[in-house]
Amino acid sequence: MNGLDNDIHSQRKRVRSAMKLTDVQIGTKVKITSMFAMNPFIRRRLSDLCISEGSLITLDHLLPFSGPCMIEANGQAVAIRLKEAECIRVVAV
Amino acid sequence: MIHIGLIGNPNTGKTTVFNALTKSYEYVGNWAGVTVEKKVGVLINKQGSLTDLPGVYSLQPLSKDEGVTTRYLVEESPDQLINVVDASQLKRNLYLTLQLLEYESRLVMGLNMMDMVETRGVQINVDRLSNVLGVPIIPIVARTGIGCKKLLDCASKNVSGRGEDRPQTVDYGPQIEPAIAALIDMLPQGKISRRWVAIQFFDGNEVVTDWLSERLPAEILRGLYDQTEQKVRTETEADGCHMLIRLRRSQVISEMISQCMLQTKVSQTSFTQRLDRLVTHRLTGIPIFLLFMYLTFKVTFEWLGVRLSDTLDGWISGPISEGIARAMEYAHAGEFIRSLIMDGIIAGVSGVIVFVPQIFILFFILSFIEDSGYMARIATVMDRLLEGVGLNGKAFIPMIIGFGCNVPGIMAARTIEQPKERLLTILLTPLMSCSARLTVYSLFVAAFFEAHQAAIVLSLYVIGVVLALVLAKLFSMTIANNEPSLFIVELPPYRYPQWKTLWRSTWEKGKGFMRKAGTFILAGSVVIWLLSYLGPSGKAVDISHSFLQVIGSVLSPIFAPLGFGNWQSASSLITGFFAKEVVVSTMNILYAAPTEEGLKITLHQFFSPLQAYSFMVFTLVYVPCLATVAVIRKETASRKWTWFSVGYALIVAYLLALFIYQFGVWIGLT
Repeated sequence: MNGLDNDIHSQRKRVRSAMKLTDVQIGTKVKITSMFAMNPFIRRRLSDLCISEGSLITLDHLLPFSGPCMIEANGQAVAIRLKEAECIRVVAV
Repeated sequence: MIHIGLIGNPNTGKTTVFNALTKSYEYVGNWAGVTVEKKVGVLINKQGSLTDLPGVYSLQPLSKDEGVTTRYLVEESPDQLINVVDASQLKRNLYLTLQLLEYESRLVMGLNMMDMVETRGVQINVDRLSNVLGVPIIPIVARTGIGCKKLLDCASKNVSGRGEDRPQTVDYGPQIEPAIAALIDMLPQGKISRRWVAIQFFDGNEVVTDWLSERLPAEILRGLYDQTEQKVRTETEADGCHMLIRLRRSQVISEMISQCMLQTKVSQTSFTQRLDRLVTHRLTGIPIFLLFMYLTFKVTFEWLGVRLSDTLDGWISGPISEGIARAMEYAHAGEFIRSLIMDGIIAGVSGVIVFVPQIFILFFILSFIEDSGYMARIATVMDRLLEGVGLNGKAFIPMIIGFGCNVPGIMAARTIEQPKERLLTILLTPLMSCSARLTVYSLFVAAFFEAHQAAIVLSLYVIGVVLALVLAKLFSMTIANNEPSLFIVELPPYRYPQWKTLWRSTWEKGKGFMRKAGTFILAGSVVIWLLSYLGPSGKAVDISHSFLQVIGSVLSPIFAPLGFGNWQSASSLITGFFAKEVVVSTMNILYAAPTEEGLKITLHQFFSPLQAYSFMVFTLVYVPCLATVAVIRKETASRKWTWFSVGYALIVAYLLALFIYQFGVWIGLT
């Protein structure tokens, strides 16, 4: 039980302190600290593409009218919806 | 005879490898329980078969379709596996490779896209990687065919040795390893590696879990899993077995890569990135796409497609028909047979043949868009609009194609992973006004709206689109609201598609269309002919005494409130079920007006402009044509949804036409 609580607690702490991927300037490389609140399917897909906590990514482009975000990681380009991108918390490197 | 399974990530050029290693292939039905078709090919060296498995990133399935790969491994125990790996994405690809190594069958790796790796300034020490993994690795460039023969030779000779001789690649730690050992002890030795089964079980692979449940009591499995999960949570940083397994694998992969891969130069902005900037730009993105689509339709339906169609049509209605007619005369064929063949079968066949060039061109362009990578960008650009109605950016292409013909449009919906969104797309694509319906519009606007033809036709297309958007919202809120709408798409680097892959892809889709649609349109034509030839008192004197007329008369009162309550309209609509353009040819016959001019004049006796518009709206929506229904049945694998697609279309068509007509009458238009 203890281990589980610590995990959620520390995750929440990380979420509050780091900034959202969508607030980062386009083209800067950042490191993911948390993907906590994200839909599990998308989260799993991203980790299949080696994009998870600790990964280095770059925000390439935000499509207009709150459209999807294009992210670059390890030479791959991926597009996800704004809603999911906002769940990605990052810190500068 | 060896049986080889071809496994790899999506977008690694696996299809290209498949095409390079096989000389022929066929679809042997679907994999059990899903709509994915099973593709098996004959090896070029004729030593066995190659089964193409759906591209996956990991054996752990996220959907039933993905479960196919695991199911294949569990049920079919291939002699050999070929793992196609994208050398420019080694880290990601090795995640699957590790799982395949644990499966302990013979394995050969085809390290593809070596050309891309070079241009990116990455060096891979293939020999060292081969040693570390314990499998033969053949570098290949599938697009050009380099290395493929060597790959095939290596795979056919089974030189890779059985898996038990390989070093155990991943140690999963003191929490999971004992649990794995415990599970292995409970299982009898069989064809499949027990260690692999155990690891997949703790990784959460549902297919493996189901397989195990048939052999071990569920409570024991459950107990073992929960116990291990608990241990992992309390003793490690991971929040579960799956995560710990993933972490351990990633660590091993990182180590391997650091030993075998070297990045020698910093990658600059690539061609892909520059093109993407243009294609996804807020100002240029959509115009570029519209231009692309416009050109697609122009080529398919005007410049190239129609010319080929007309030529074919000319041959069939000209020399071929005459030849057959003469042959029948010579053979003293009876009138029934003569009419059956000329008016039924030949009419039906030419109805299908006319489509063929356009369909193939459309499929070719579609394959080009898919293989080049542009399709993923289109889905991204269009996603926001479709998100608003509960759909997914990937639904856009099927619908756009539906404007040409609904059948390939619905087939294109296979690229949508999410079942709910795929279903919605399939149900709504028939609302896209296809080119067959255009023949009906052309007739009526020429007769009634001569001054505003384009505007009226455009209004009909717009009605179709608006209806689709509204119903999408409605359906996603009511009948299909059990899952959230999700979107994620990988944007592969742009590449020039390889000719052989394009051709095979086009041929596959085109053949599927011809077989399905062709059979139905042909059968439909014969049925219509029969209904018009026979009447209540044997052979009909003329068409106004045939069964078709009887059925039409019975149904015509239903259409009266819509403005076209005459038996000719009703009968034409019935025939239109088989193929929408048949409505026009039926009207030609029923109104006894064989020429276009004559028909236009006759129509004025039966329709007013308002009634004509109501009729066109009804034709737009009423039911998908028979070929479309057949494809819907196949792609949804569900009778219920097929009936639904027919039912809702009828109801919506009726209500809409009713509304338009009655409203028009009410405000004084006649």
